This record gives sequence, C-alpha cells and structure tokens, in this order.
Amino acid sequence: MSIILDQSTRVLVQGITGKEGSFWTKHMIDYGTNVVAGVTPGREGQNVAGVPVFHTVKRAVRNIPVEASLLFVPPRFAKEALFEALEAGIKKVVILCDGIPLHDAIQMRKAAISAGAMVIGGNTSGIISMGQAMMGFFPYWLERVYKPGRIGIMTRSGSLTNEITAEVVRAGFGASSLIGIGGDPVPLTRFAEVLPLFEEDPNTDAVVLIGELGGTMEEEVAEAIENKIFTKPLVAFLGGRTAPKGKKMGHAGAIITAGKGTVKDKMIALKNAGALVAERPRQVGTLLESILASKI
Amino acid sequence: MKLFEYQAKELFEQIQIPVPNRVLIENPEEMAKATDEIGFPCVLKAQVLQGGRGKAGLIKLVSTIDEAHLQAEAIFSKAQNMSGLLIEEALQIDKELYVSITADPVSGTAMMMACSEGGIDIEEIAKNIPEKIHKITIDLSQGIQTYQVRGLLYEMGLDDRLIGTGTKLLMDLYHVFRNHEAELVEINPLIVTKDGKLMAGDGKISIDDNALFRHPQFQVTRAYYENDAEFEAAEEGIPYIQFDGDIGLMCAGAGLTNTVFDLVNDYGGNVANYLEFGGPNYHKAKKAMEIMMKNDIKVLLIVTFGTIARADVMAEGIVEAMKELNPPFPIVAAVRGTGEEKAHELLRSVNIDPLIDTEQAVIKAIALSGGVKQ
Repeated sequence: MSIILDQSTRVLVQGITGKEGSFWTKHMIDYGTNVVAGVTPGREGQNVAGVPVFHTVKRAVRNIPVEASLLFVPPRFAKEALFEALEAGIKKVVILCDGIPLHDAIQMRKAAISAGAMVIGGNTSGIISMGQAMMGFFPYWLERVYKPGRIGIMTRSGSLTNEITAEVVRAGFGASSLIGIGGDPVPLTRFAEVLPLFEEDPNTDAVVLIGELGGTMEEEVAEAIENKIFTKPLVAFLGGRTAPKGKKMGHAGAIITAGKGTVKDKMIALKNAGALVAERPRQVGTLLESILASKI
Repeated sequence: MKLFEYQAKELFEQIQIPVPNRVLIENPEEMAKATDEIGFPCVLKAQVLQGGRGKAGLIKLVSTIDEAHLQAEAIFSKAQNMSGLLIEEALQIDKELYVSITADPVSGTAMMMACSEGGIDIEEIAKNIPEKIHKITIDLSQGIQTYQVRGLLYEMGLDDRLIGTGTKLLMDLYHVFRNHEAELVEINPLIVTKDGKLMAGDGKISIDDNALFRHPQFQVTRAYYENDAEFEAAEEGIPYIQFDGDIGLMCAGAGLTNTVFDLVNDYGGNVANYLEFGGPNYHKAKKAMEIMMKNDIKVLLIVTFGTIARADVMAEGIVEAMKELNPPFPIVAAVRGTGEEKAHELLRSVNIDPLIDTEQAVIKAIALSGGVKQ
C-alpha cells in the first residue's frame, strides 16, 4: 500500500516525446508504473516505449481512461498544461519543472483548489511509492536510498531527500511513499494536505518531514498534529537553521507569517506539537529507532 | 530582481500613482542643477538595494546648497554599490501609512496589506501591533474590485476625503504588481501630506526572476549585485552568496547546501560562500570552481547527492577544473547519487578522496581550514 500512487494507477505523461519525458517514461515503466498514454501536440499516432501518444489531453482520455498526469513541460507552459489536465477531469497531477513564474503558480494553486485536485509540485523530483510506481525522476537503483518500508517521507528538497532518506535506510527502515512537494514559494500541495493520506495509510507507521526555512508549511504541520489530524509519530529535519536572513525572504514575505518562517521558530512549533526534530541528518535515523522500537 | 527606488517610482509615475518631484544624479557635480529644479528643502536618497538606509546615514534632509554638497560628498564616499543619488522634494507630512501586495501561497491569491502606521519596519508593526494590519485577498482571474480596496481603506481608518484617491491609488498599485509580475510591491511610507494628498514616499518592487523572460525591459546588470563574484555567478544562473569565512561551499541543491552550511557552523567552521550548482547547473562545476577561485579560501568543500544532477558529470567538471585551473586550495568531496561509482573513480584520478558521509566531509574540511574557530 502507499498513498496517491500505486502500480495500478493509470498515468498520463504530458510532454512524453521530449528528451527527459521519453527517457524517464521508460524508467517509470521499468519500475512498474502503469503509464497508459502520452500527450505531445502534433505527435498523435506515435508511441514512446509502447505508450500511445495523443495531440491533446482530451483526445487521450477519450480513448484511454486516465487517473493521474505527470507534466514534463517547461516552466512557461506549466500553467496551460495543468489547466488542460484539470479541464479533462484529471484529479492527480505531478509537475516537475523548476522555474514556474510566481503569478502563474498563484493561479495554478487556486485552480487546483477549485477543481478539488491534488496537484504536486513544481520544482520537485515527483512522487514514488517504493517498489511499486513513480511519477517523476528518482534514481531508484540506489539501494541505500530507495528501499521499500513503512516510513512516509515528504520533502521540499531533492538532493537533501537523498541525504536524509539514506539515513532512514541506514537505521534499518525503508519508505512507503515519498512525496516531493517541491521547493517553490507556492507549492501546489502543502505538507499539511499530504498528512491525512499518511494518517490513513495502514502501511505507514511514521512520517519523516524534510523542510527548510521560509514560508509556513512546517507550522501548518505542527497545527495538524496539535489538532489530532495527524496522530502517528513524525520526525522532522529542517535545512537552513543557521542561515542568515535569505535573499528570498523579503519584508512582505516575512510579515504575512508574522514571526514565522525561521527554522528556529519552525523547530519550536514542531517540538511543542509533539514532533521529534533532528538537528543533523544522522539523527533522523536514531530518532526513528527510538520511537518505533518502543512501539514494538 | 529587486528594483531601485528610482525605478519603482518611475513605474508608479507611468501608471499615475502620485510621487514626489525628483531628479537622479550620478555624481556630486550634478547637484546644483538638480536642486535648482527641485528647490529647498530637499531629501538626498542613496539608491542602494539594502534596507535601513536612514539608519546608515544614506538619506539626508538638506536646506541649503552648501549642506547639499557636503552631505552628497559624504553619501557618495560612504555608500557601496550605489546606483545614483535621488534628489527629492521634501514633503509636508501629516501621516505615514503602509501598503503592500504580495502572493498568498496558501489560498492562491494576491494579498494586499495596509496599515495606518507606516514609515517604520513592517516586521516591527507585525510584532507589536498586528491588529492594525488589514488584509484583502485578490483572485487573479477575477482581478481587483473597488469595493475590496474601499473596504480596506475604511478598515484602516483613512480620512473620508481620501477614500476616493486612495482607492484609485491602490487599484493602480495592483496593476503595477500584475503588469510587471512582481513578487512584492510596497509603498512605505505612503504619505498623507498636510494639504491632503496621498503620495508614495518610497517604493519597493521585486520582480519575479522566473517571469523575467516576459519582461525584457528589466536587464540584470552588475548594479544589482553586491560584488563581482555574485554578479558573475548570477550571469551563469548559479545561486551565490558571499560570506567572510574561509571554507568555500560548492554544493548541489538548495536544501543540501543549507544543511551543509548548518553543519559547518555547528562544528565550528566559518563559511566563505554559498554556491549551489545543482539542478540545471550540474554541468557547470568548472565555472563554479572559477568563481570559487576569486575567493580567498583555505579549503573547498563539495557536497552533492543528485538525481538528474549526475554525480559522474559533476565529477568530470571537477576533474577538468582541477587540471586546467590548478586551484590553490585543498578539496574535500562527498559526491554521491546517480553515477557515483564512476564519479569516485574520476575523483581518485586527481587525488581527491571520495567521501560518502556528509558530516565526515564537513569535519575534514574544518580541520583543513585550520580547525575550529573561536
């Protein structure tokens, strides 16, 4: 079991004939992902690794039922591609590209909420349900990182995820699902919106949160724990604890959050809510050992 | 991309947001001509991007030409990375307000904030009198509505006679935010003059870097950066921030770079810079090394754990840079992820010991930098 995605999920790839799109489609199929169709305007009738390509998302879904779409499109086309997927009725979308313009991202977030869709990204490696399926690009062949298990992982970062997940595996655990919500200022799904799915998943015993400075997402997780929306153990690691005020943290950005946004504040909020907070990557493993051993 | 005050005010003026009369001068010799046009008293305002200009002595009120010359000389000699001096009419101030627009990432809207107490740091206001900050959210697909803005102005207790002009001003400000795809537009202070007019006393605009391709009028130049290394890195699209320590960081991925930064600080080292060559820049190891060599460092710490950013490609770049640039500092490397076996072979070929563990790499780099500092 896993969240959002498993090997039966019928996946569409928008931008399937591009260099990255075709390369990773093959890897996704090799890993076990049920990729059923692709879209690239002008390429209908072709196929990529045996997957049929259509001109538009509507034409694809008219022929083949689709549950989820993965966007391999450049950032300037991400908004359009998302709107196309939502209009075709797709309720799960993963957007990988880094560099979506802010005003586009705001409108995308609004559209996702209005459509009742779970849109993950952008600026992410995607999502992977270990040993079953992935939407995105993960070096699943790295055994010391991508090992199936019972820890749910959600993250704002790519390379830091490899670092932390390696520590989870080193401590003898593995992951159920890894959800890369991405590093953009406007993530289209927020940490606290993923938590209920991990809460319900019988194969997830605990969650590791990989966060960083800026925004209010870690504080929202603390609130979800306080409000008993999430009741399983949660271990957090946050990057940027000693960072001087970042260049991206403008006045108005900090003010919306009224005193929130620094890693120190986030750590306090999480600890007060009952989460365990690792100061260093290595401690993620030892903290998991401490809570999960005591449960057995 | 943060704009200078004079640029923000030009954008305000274009859309008819009232701004004070002003002239931008490039050197102190242009002062007399500028003050002839503006008159006395006037305000000299250094055009720099950092905040806290008043406290730093970079904004001065002057009443005579002699005083203007004296203060201008002082500002020109004191300010670093200044893009001119703004000579601006001194307003007769009745009240100072605050207004800004930014993104609300939770609801997917634009958020306009206003406060009846402007002129001071907004973070101070948020901490001390949060109840005086009023907010509205704007759905970008619907656009801003006058009733929303009017409501906001009534909430903040603006004088009835100013509601009409205030509403127009804030509607215009929203159009500045939208037309130029800003991350932030802020007027602080928004001045109510003694003769009952609203005027933008200052202007802060930050354009979304990801949208610059749609706004070619904003060209990135050296003026927007604090030093050569930051500018050179920016031209390559490599995030770079200068610090004053002696351990150079060359890492891939913002999250991992921040984490290595934390670990170096935790173990008592001093970071010389933040350089992130992950994502689309993973083939730019050589260029990154060139930038590092502009910096006086005792050791270079390279930490990566990439997926798309392949370890072997990064290692190739490092080896190439070692051979061609012959860097004068020792290198500690933990290069992992896709293609790491080949990467480790490559690193060994130039006598770099490929480490697997991040903390171990950090500890080794600190030792090579001369050990833990006070």
